[in-house]
Amino acid sequence: MLQTSNYSLVLSLQFLLLSYDLFVNSFSELLRMAPVIQLVLFIIQDIAILFNIIIIFLMFFNTFVFQAGLVNLLFHKFKGTIILTAVYFALSISLHVWVMNLRWKNSNRFVWTDGLQTLFVFQRLAAVLYCYFYKRTAVRLGDPRFYQDSLWLRKEFLQVRR
Amino acid sequence: PPNKSPQPLEKPQKRPPRALPPVPRFVMISANFQSDNNRKEQMDYLVCFIDDIPVNRPKKKKPRPKHTLVSTSLDGLVQAGVRRPSEGSEPPTKDPIEHPEAPVQRRHKKTRQPLELETSFTQKKASSPSLLQNENGIDVEPAEEAVIKKPRKKTKKTQPSGLQYANELGVEDEDIITDEQSTPEQQSIFTAPTGVSQPVGKVFVEKSRRFQAADRSELIKTTENIDVSMDMKPSWTTRDVALSVHRAFRMIGLFSHGFLAGCAVWNIVVIYVLAGDQLSNLSNLLQQYKTLAYPFQSLLYLLLALSTVSAFDRIDFAKTSVAVRSFLTLDPTALASFLYFTALILSLSQQMTSDRIHLYTPSSVNGSLWAAGIEEQILQPWIVVNLVVALLVGLSWLFLSYRPGMDLSEELMFSSDVEEYPDKDKGIKASS
Repeated sequence: MLQTSNYSLVLSLQFLLLSYDLFVNSFSELLRMAPVIQLVLFIIQDIAILFNIIIIFLMFFNTFVFQAGLVNLLFHKFKGTIILTAVYFALSISLHVWVMNLRWKNSNRFVWTDGLQTLFVFQRLAAVLYCYFYKRTAVRLGDPRFYQDSLWLRKEFLQVRR
Repeated sequence: PPNKSPQPLEKPQKRPPRALPPVPRFVMISANFQSDNNRKEQMDYLVCFIDDIPVNRPKKKKPRPKHTLVSTSLDGLVQAGVRRPSEGSEPPTKDPIEHPEAPVQRRHKKTRQPLELETSFTQKKASSPSLLQNENGIDVEPAEEAVIKKPRKKTKKTQPSGLQYANELGVEDEDIITDEQSTPEQQSIFTAPTGVSQPVGKVFVEKSRRFQAADRSELIKTTENIDVSMDMKPSWTTRDVALSVHRAFRMIGLFSHGFLAGCAVWNIVVIYVLAGDQLSNLSNLLQQYKTLAYPFQSLLYLLLALSTVSAFDRIDFAKTSVAVRSFLTLDPTALASFLYFTALILSLSQQMTSDRIHLYTPSSVNGSLWAAGIEEQILQPWIVVNLVVALLVGLSWLFLSYRPGMDLSEELMFSSDVEEYPDKDKGIKASS
């Protein structure tokens, strides 16, 4: 069974990483006095996303549903979050590489092209969706139903086996 | 009289092989007999299951202190019981039918128990009042026979087993078998020798590798007390943490809706004031606004992201069926989240122009991004988009404030404890 204190700790860590992500997405364009600043911000942001992925998977592994062997059920339930997080991670890394590549010599250069603008829009939109789905998943995993045997789980099990 | 049942008596009394690696399970069977002279004798059997083959050993004879006569022969007891006609509640015709089922039923019970431990934990509580009745009403009909099979107890004194124990302490009606004409074939080795018996108030609890008699009612009381305290203890569950975080985020969202609407309106007012009549003074706008453009773009993104996530929360966007239904019925909250998402896309699409404004230098300066004459061409759509964003955001705020308390996520995600696992729950998992 998930301990309340542990869950609070994990949830606050997740929210910390999410808010850092939102902060960098919002203000990284402002903080470009030196290219190194942006580089460090971007690296930490990518690591934060990676950390969030690791944490959410550790939370999955901790559920009774997973330990009962119903990986499929868990994946089915949270596939939106998993896929979106992976997509966002890929978009973020590609945008960061592109932007840093263009701005490395002169951080105050006008670097925008149509392609970069498109990637930027998709990355930022994915960030919002990622934030929503991830937050929802993290909150939902606090449901005690995932950590104990129940009638609901047995029904799910029967459905999965069919 | 049965032939098999006395056999265990002849075996030498030795301690059960408790220390052996394949840990045998013990079942205490206590049978209380009432003989002709209304004297009560009590027999205690320790049945040892090793790989589901029970070995029946009489452990010890425990006559009650008040009784003077102790009968050592089981045969006599059983005969005494058999001699009396059954005056139990059940008609004698039923007995042959019922009896063969009894061992089977018990075997079912035994295998089913571990499953029940986790789920039907509280359901059995109802049996305890009947138990108390039974043990207090000791004076039952003299001829009534009952073999009480006490539930198997776990010997380890862990907390969960202690709790489970409370439920098993009760004497259920199906545990009391009222039959007497038992042929040797029918009497399986599971059952204790039949005789006149009734529930006793003693339970034998293993303490420090030795069974000690304890009063059943007191044990139940203590375990029930533990039960109550366990119920009281988790006052702050993970669900509560999740719920409070969710509500806190809703508060942040509520703030950002209003703040975003105010900011956007202020922004568009500033732009139009700086641009002058009919956008005649665009270079002034660029000069004044260039320091403000990028910070405002960043702030707009932050607030739009927060508002969009909050609006999605309210319609439970991840649950597509519910979200689509809300859109189709033109629910204000669903409309608001759609408007927020549109505003977000529009605002993000102006990132390039905002950066261009941010890097504004007059066209006379060498390497300027702003060639003479293209100012209006670039700024016109930018102003329009900003105006549209301000309108969308303001409208969303109005829509949301129409039903500020609406929150489908909370209703659907956290309401499941009211009605346990309703069918609509299936929708959640399908989409999320």
